[in-house]
Amino acid sequence: MSPVDPDLLSIENLSVVIRRPGREVAALSDVTLRVGRGEVVGLVGESGGGKSMVARSIVGLLPGGSHATGAVRFEGDDVLRMDDDALRRHRGHGAAICFQNPRGALSPTRTVGRQLTDRLITHQRLTETEARRAAEEQFAAVGIRSPRRRLGAYPHELSGGMAQRVMISLATGCAPGLLIADEPTTGLDVTLTREILRQFRHAADTDGRGVLLISHDLASVADVCDRVVVLYAGTVVESGPAARVLGRPAHPYTRALLRSVPDVDGRAVVATPGAMPLLKAAPRECPFAPRCAHATAECSVDRPLPTPVPGATDEWSLACFHPRTDELAFEEPAATPARATAAERAVLEVDDAHVVYRSRFGKGGHAALRGVSLRVAAGETLGVVGESGCGKSTLAKLLLGLVPAARGDVRVAGSRMSDLRGRELRRLRTRVQMVFQDPIGSLSPRRTVAEAIAEPLRALGLPAAQRAERVAAVADRLKIDRSMLARHPHELSGGQAQRVCIARALAGEPDVLVFDEPTSALDVTVQAQILDVIADVVRDPSRGSVFISHDLATVRGFADRVIVLYLGRIVEEGPVEEVFGRPRHPYTRALLSSAPSLGSGFSGPKVTLTEDLDDTEAAATGCPLAARCPFAADRCRTEEQQLRPHGTAQVACWRVPEIPDLLKGSDIRV
Amino acid sequence: MRIARFVGRRLLQLIPVLLGVVVLTFLLVRVLPGDPIRTILGPNATPEDAAAARARYGLDQPMVKQFLDYLGGLVTGDLGTSIQSGTSVGAEIGLRIGPTFELVVLALAVALVVAVLLGVWSARHADRAGDHGVRLAALVGNSMPEFWLGLVLILVGYSVLGWFPAPSGRVDPDTNLTPLTGADLLDAALTLNGPAFGSALAHLILPVATLSIVVVAPLLRSVRASALEVLHSEPYVAATAHGLRGRTLLRGYLLRATLARLPSLAALVFGTSIGSTVLVEYVFSWQGFGQWALRGLLYRDYPVVQASVLVIAFCYVVVFLIADVVQAVLDPRVQI
Amino acid sequence: MPEVMPETVVVGAARAGRFATVLIVTGSAILAVVALAAIVAPLLTGWGPTEIDPLGTLVPPGPGHPLGTDANGMDVWSRLLYAGRLDLGIAVAGVAAAVVAGTALGLVAGYLGGWVDDVLMRVVDVFQAFPTFILALAVAALVGNGTGNLIAVIAAVNAPAYARLVRAEVRTVRESSFVAASVTSGASTFGVLWRHVLPNSLTPVRVIAPLNAGWAMLTLAGLSFLGLGVTVPAAEWGAMISLGSPDVVAGRWWTSVPPGLVLLICVLGFSLLGEGLQERAEAKRR
Repeated sequence: MSPVDPDLLSIENLSVVIRRPGREVAALSDVTLRVGRGEVVGLVGESGGGKSMVARSIVGLLPGGSHATGAVRFEGDDVLRMDDDALRRHRGHGAAICFQNPRGALSPTRTVGRQLTDRLITHQRLTETEARRAAEEQFAAVGIRSPRRRLGAYPHELSGGMAQRVMISLATGCAPGLLIADEPTTGLDVTLTREILRQFRHAADTDGRGVLLISHDLASVADVCDRVVVLYAGTVVESGPAARVLGRPAHPYTRALLRSVPDVDGRAVVATPGAMPLLKAAPRECPFAPRCAHATAECSVDRPLPTPVPGATDEWSLACFHPRTDELAFEEPAATPARATAAERAVLEVDDAHVVYRSRFGKGGHAALRGVSLRVAAGETLGVVGESGCGKSTLAKLLLGLVPAARGDVRVAGSRMSDLRGRELRRLRTRVQMVFQDPIGSLSPRRTVAEAIAEPLRALGLPAAQRAERVAAVADRLKIDRSMLARHPHELSGGQAQRVCIARALAGEPDVLVFDEPTSALDVTVQAQILDVIADVVRDPSRGSVFISHDLATVRGFADRVIVLYLGRIVEEGPVEEVFGRPRHPYTRALLSSAPSLGSGFSGPKVTLTEDLDDTEAAATGCPLAARCPFAADRCRTEEQQLRPHGTAQVACWRVPEIPDLLKGSDIRV
Repeated sequence: MRIARFVGRRLLQLIPVLLGVVVLTFLLVRVLPGDPIRTILGPNATPEDAAAARARYGLDQPMVKQFLDYLGGLVTGDLGTSIQSGTSVGAEIGLRIGPTFELVVLALAVALVVAVLLGVWSARHADRAGDHGVRLAALVGNSMPEFWLGLVLILVGYSVLGWFPAPSGRVDPDTNLTPLTGADLLDAALTLNGPAFGSALAHLILPVATLSIVVVAPLLRSVRASALEVLHSEPYVAATAHGLRGRTLLRGYLLRATLARLPSLAALVFGTSIGSTVLVEYVFSWQGFGQWALRGLLYRDYPVVQASVLVIAFCYVVVFLIADVVQAVLDPRVQI
Repeated sequence: MPEVMPETVVVGAARAGRFATVLIVTGSAILAVVALAAIVAPLLTGWGPTEIDPLGTLVPPGPGHPLGTDANGMDVWSRLLYAGRLDLGIAVAGVAAAVVAGTALGLVAGYLGGWVDDVLMRVVDVFQAFPTFILALAVAALVGNGTGNLIAVIAAVNAPAYARLVRAEVRTVRESSFVAASVTSGASTFGVLWRHVLPNSLTPVRVIAPLNAGWAMLTLAGLSFLGLGVTVPAAEWGAMISLGSPDVVAGRWWTSVPPGLVLLICVLGFSLLGEGLQERAEAKRR
């Protein structure tokens, strides 16, 4: 018998084992959770924890070979045991998913308007004409400008943010009781992330839908969720009100997760050793025990089941024998000893560099960098931040000599790359080494770890025996197990692979290390481990480092100075405390304002940019930010801005002196 | 409008390619071992006879002069005179191309329909018995020597069962068919000649069957693979997860996306079918373009070889052009 | 009444990864049997491949000749066996040559780019402006027949496709970060090509090559059928079908049906192998 008024969604003891020839994975073990109407529930945890599997089970799309037990009750009916007809009715109208990668999940050969009307006609029983009108309203409701025109667009014509809005409109167009958002903000810039998440809060508040928000990004979820469920290795480890679970977590894993996230307020990251296990069968012991500092013998013989916390009245429950009751303490940021960088030897100098990507046949081309100058001294770390498309990756390529400068030059340890050829050029190249964004992809699939690490040594012409010695030494320094040296990249986890990449970069003792988004492909706890490693490596006084990231918080952790890039130009440059603590350029302030934070976040007056970067036409003249800047005046649209010193920083904005006053004005959205 | 401009631009680009083909074949044909004059004169000809014949066909002229004459002829639409038959190459092509077109167009039409229907069906029933059967049949078809298949069909259909006419000619001469286009079935239909229509149809069935079996196999494999990929693709899964059903899914999310991946492959398959046509015509004594071109090659009939190579290259590039247009129509991501 | 916990729900069958293995094993087995039969042909038949039975032409299958004799009075069974040597040999050697030449060209064109790429790819374009079989016909007519020449024909008509395939793959691999990592580690161009680009660009070649060997056999047999390939009396399946083709109208099947059937089975062997490899490659990609 189902209760009189069942929950919208109630998952009870759901276990899923995926059996395939030669492979068996316990994807979910005894998962219990519920989502009510008008409620936003966050499902958080690292990849491999089972978040997507929960989403798939709710719409009856478990992968082939799945063996499921338990029940997924939707308005009382068990989705796992629905027949084809019932399932078809349930999908979309009962529960609708917003897919993770919207551009990939939209059909490329059908206009987005048709895709929306398909859903409206199927689920809301509208006629063609009604559906078209409703579609236009729907587009407007998710914040698509000129919706009528966009109805005729194909997915490839949309920017990432626009595609995500369309995806949301498709899911809500099914008029579902439950909206499932699978990592809806992956790959979006911080400014967009907030806007998109607001849409889900809106769906719950005004339409009374239940929302299940799946995310690895704890900080963004914290703002919009009513309740949070934390998954680890396919089990629910903690669940309860968002403020409770993210503010005063009791499960060691939740605490580890939170401590691993860098924050713009500059608090220190604490790494947790180990990695999430891939289970072959439902665990008999606490799956987190091997990584847990508080584990006792009990934890490795018996599995704690989720139980309500004694005395808690707010559905707070956790699966732990030894819950932590103390407040989650964060260390103050380690005060970095002020280094007299200016006087030291410069290992990297870039002077007024321009990079232009020419289209192959057409004239002109796209200017990715326009007049960038920077200097890195030995022992110094330079952070580079900006949204996607601002020229960060081009800058990395330029430093490594992978793209030529159309104008200006790059000097490494005093030599210009463009002056050299052949063997001498290859020698110089070994002086700058890069750690790439995608660790596994930057290792040659058919070469072993040892061969990869030895690559720069081979270029230096070292004999095999010496190479092996150096490889072993650098592997030891980065705590890479000797047994791993004979493995191939596909046998490594992301974290292991990134260690190997750092080892390779270090092997030749370069003068400059360039980190290009080194942790953006990694899970939170692994990211914290790798950031630890990087922090150790960049401390070396003989070497300069450049750390590139879209995530301001990670940069804050260990950069000495920061540059902020916007559309190929430096808009602000200065010591890290100065730029993060007292941003002068409106763009820098806007970036910091929208950065998600679990802590105090950015404390000063906030600024929101008026448009998405994707929608902005690059202006031919004047300040590139003018179209989006709330402070833009006529002069901004006509006059090119140059970097000018303001205190210890340099800023490319003529209104800097006026901005403090402008911020007090009432016309700024906060 | 954009498509018309695209086609116009592409046709203009064809000119240098075809010019290259003309130059290349002109040179290659002349370095072929073997002498066209020897093959028409017989063993008892004196050197004087040979020289006279050579002069008659302009083969005593310097190479550059020969080429310019040939090119001049091409511009005015004159493809030269066949050394073997002494008739105009243009007229011979006119006579031969009709029957070949009829054969190829019918076979391709049958193959396209069968491949799309069966391929999509097979993908939607992937990994079940029916699908395995279709896949195996496609593999066998893909491995089939078409000339041998033609022989087997003749053996069974004519020698053993006697259902089909002997493999010589395209229509029974007693039916007094008036040739208009050279495509016999079409001519019979246009002249309302019932008996000739029946005869032409009976003659067509076996060669069309042969050709379409070898053409359908690779197409079918591609359609199935493409449909399977679409069925597993994120957009399709998303549409299913949003509860769209039956016809909306099939028409809106499966068919067009499946077909959008295929035009250039289909054009390649058309290319292989040109080769198969030569063999099939030979087996069935079709007396079409393929057989004519082959004889020209074997007898070193320079004007015939040059003209047929040009025609084949032209057809081939035009088919690729059509494929590009179809692709652009089906796939909005393709810019033309 | 308390609800009883329902039992396990099984979703779909796990997609059988074994199907690829079945295809590969079957295909390889067929090829092995045909190749072995060709090698040990003298043990399986008393007649030589071109030996003429003075007692009769077009003898139907019977005790002395298990598959009868052809219009020249040669034993069809023994010719069938020996023909595998020429057919398999020429096709495999031709494709191997095409793979080596095409890969080298594609590697250079794809990695260096610029004018080298432009020139090489225009040459490939000219070759690919013709259907393969038509090209083979023309080239075969040009160079004349003979085993070496036929291998060259097969290699020449197939190499451009490999060049294009490898070039496309190289252009993808070239952009990958492991190549960038190698370049910035100071590796020489040759080192990058040999150690990183080449080994990671060959996957599609491995899949296509067996399928291609099957097509090559069909091309060779087709040429021979038209009198432009191996010529009678040498034992080759296409030439045998050609010799037997006039008998079909008279209802004599044994001179042309068996060689075609063996050819079909042999090509099918390559097709199965190629299909299996493709399926495995795709399974790995998912």
